[in-house]
Amino acid sequence: MEARIRQPNPSPSKLRTLGKNIVKNKSIYVLLIPGLVWYFIFAYMPMGGLSLAFKTYKANLGIWGSPWCGLENFTYVFRDPAFWASIKRTLIINLGRLIFQFPAPILIALMLNEVRVGRSKKVLQSIYTFPHFLSWVIVASIMTNLLSYDGLVNNIIGSMGGDTVNFLGNPKIFQPMLYISEIWKSSGYSAIIYMAAISGIDMDQYEAAEIDGASRMQRIRHITIPSILPTITVMFILMTGNLMSAGFDQIFNLNNAALKEVSDTLDMYIYRITFQSSADFSFSTAVSLFRSIINAILLFLADRGSKFMGGSGLFG
Amino acid sequence: MARKTKFGNQKFQLMDFILIVILTVWGLAIFLPFLNVIAVSFTSYKEYLETPLLLFPKRIDLQSYQELFKTGRIWTGYKTTLLYVAFGVPLALFLCCSTAYALCRRGYPGRKLIFTLILITMIFNGGIVPLYLVVKSLNLNNVAGVILVGGMNTFYMILMYNYFSSLPESLMESARLDGAGEWTILFRIVLPLSMPIIATVILFASVDRWNEWFNSMIFLRGNDWQPLQLVLRSIVIDSQVAADMSAQVTIEEKAFSNGIKMAAVMVTMLPIMCVFPFLQKHFAKGVMIGAIKS
Repeated sequence: MEARIRQPNPSPSKLRTLGKNIVKNKSIYVLLIPGLVWYFIFAYMPMGGLSLAFKTYKANLGIWGSPWCGLENFTYVFRDPAFWASIKRTLIINLGRLIFQFPAPILIALMLNEVRVGRSKKVLQSIYTFPHFLSWVIVASIMTNLLSYDGLVNNIIGSMGGDTVNFLGNPKIFQPMLYISEIWKSSGYSAIIYMAAISGIDMDQYEAAEIDGASRMQRIRHITIPSILPTITVMFILMTGNLMSAGFDQIFNLNNAALKEVSDTLDMYIYRITFQSSADFSFSTAVSLFRSIINAILLFLADRGSKFMGGSGLFG
Repeated sequence: MARKTKFGNQKFQLMDFILIVILTVWGLAIFLPFLNVIAVSFTSYKEYLETPLLLFPKRIDLQSYQELFKTGRIWTGYKTTLLYVAFGVPLALFLCCSTAYALCRRGYPGRKLIFTLILITMIFNGGIVPLYLVVKSLNLNNVAGVILVGGMNTFYMILMYNYFSSLPESLMESARLDGAGEWTILFRIVLPLSMPIIATVILFASVDRWNEWFNSMIFLRGNDWQPLQLVLRSIVIDSQVAADMSAQVTIEEKAFSNGIKMAAVMVTMLPIMCVFPFLQKHFAKGVMIGAIKS
């Protein structure tokens, strides 16, 4: 009888082999310690800190000691019109990114693949990829120089007799500016992944098509694009995984007083309520938790989707 | 038959021409803003006013740089950013190597659980608010804190893990039979074989550290240790707002400050320009990181 009750537990001999196994591999555990300590402090403690969403933050009691308050914070969050407005804005901006930004690297890759001047192709590719490695602080500074009232672009417009355009402080063109500047910064780098996919295509297909008299456009349409379609699909799915975030660095650095109304995305909203006005950490943690959960669901679906499409998924 | 190929060739040439034009225009659209930044930083105020389309200064004028380095802020920026690179990159390398290698070894209890727990952090994280509170509660809201928070990078770790996994197991097995410990195997056998991936991680991590500004902005509030990126931000972006708002700024001051601002952009950008040729060799490995991270 007793033996039967104990059955679900590991038997003593099993425990002993487990113990022996641990002792045998103790140097591996020592190797793991630094990394695990890091993950514990800087990943799992903040995750636990999300419990603050259900608490009333008291500075003297800290995250762990503050009293619980149930879903009170969420009722405040969901009642805040600025919260819903920021979510709507984030979705609209990201939809725009999918429509305008997403095809840009594909076009660049296709064009670079077709152009037949070896050396200048390399130079061009270097120029295209360089801005990716600059921070948005630098890129925003370059844009300020280029697009301000006395900047190069307005000088060109002026010399052609046009009116000065307010590029950086006009809420109406804020979204196009986001897409254009992101394309400027990173489409060249993102094109690399498509170039890699294109370089994997079997050259025999092209030769066969050429013999059959297929034009260049036909070859692009019927060979190149179908061949890189899996890559395109995976990248598309990965991008939808970021539907709730994406672009804080960019928006934060391109933001200014005139754009307050149009730049308040979810990330900006969280930043604003946490670090600018009088901070209510419980409230902003509740927003953070909401964002983390939606993001996790989207990323999980994106990962599954990309694996389903034959991609490598998020984890390589 | 002959006519057909001729026709085809003609079409090719036209399309080649269009392609080259489009690609060159796009290249110029990226290159000219940089040229303009360089030109403005090296130009005297007088020439700046006289040339609306400033791309090549007639005379190199270093006054903007002299003014920029006269203020102590840019030196503070360099100091902090160099600390980030000098300590952050070796730390990232150490954490990524040790963790990736330990995860590569098989057949010890808890490996799967640890792997899963690490992968979870890629999908779910606490976000900036709890991280800020945790960092503050540990009294890490300083330069060391920024370095530590950026210490581990799961993407680089996975990159190394994949590389380590591709090494022949027999090498490590024979070393183990000779009585070598795991640390010895890691440092004497695995790392010397992994130089390509280590170089990739060093380069990308260095760029990351150099470009770090967000955590610094959050953790180093009211602190004198601003990194270069934040110094640049306060010189260019914040002062732009101030300049737009205060009407009494004379045009001369405003235009002159433009030279200093672009000099600041230059000194922040120059190291990236210098490592860029080396970075290019590692694009193929790095590109997946970029694609996922953004």
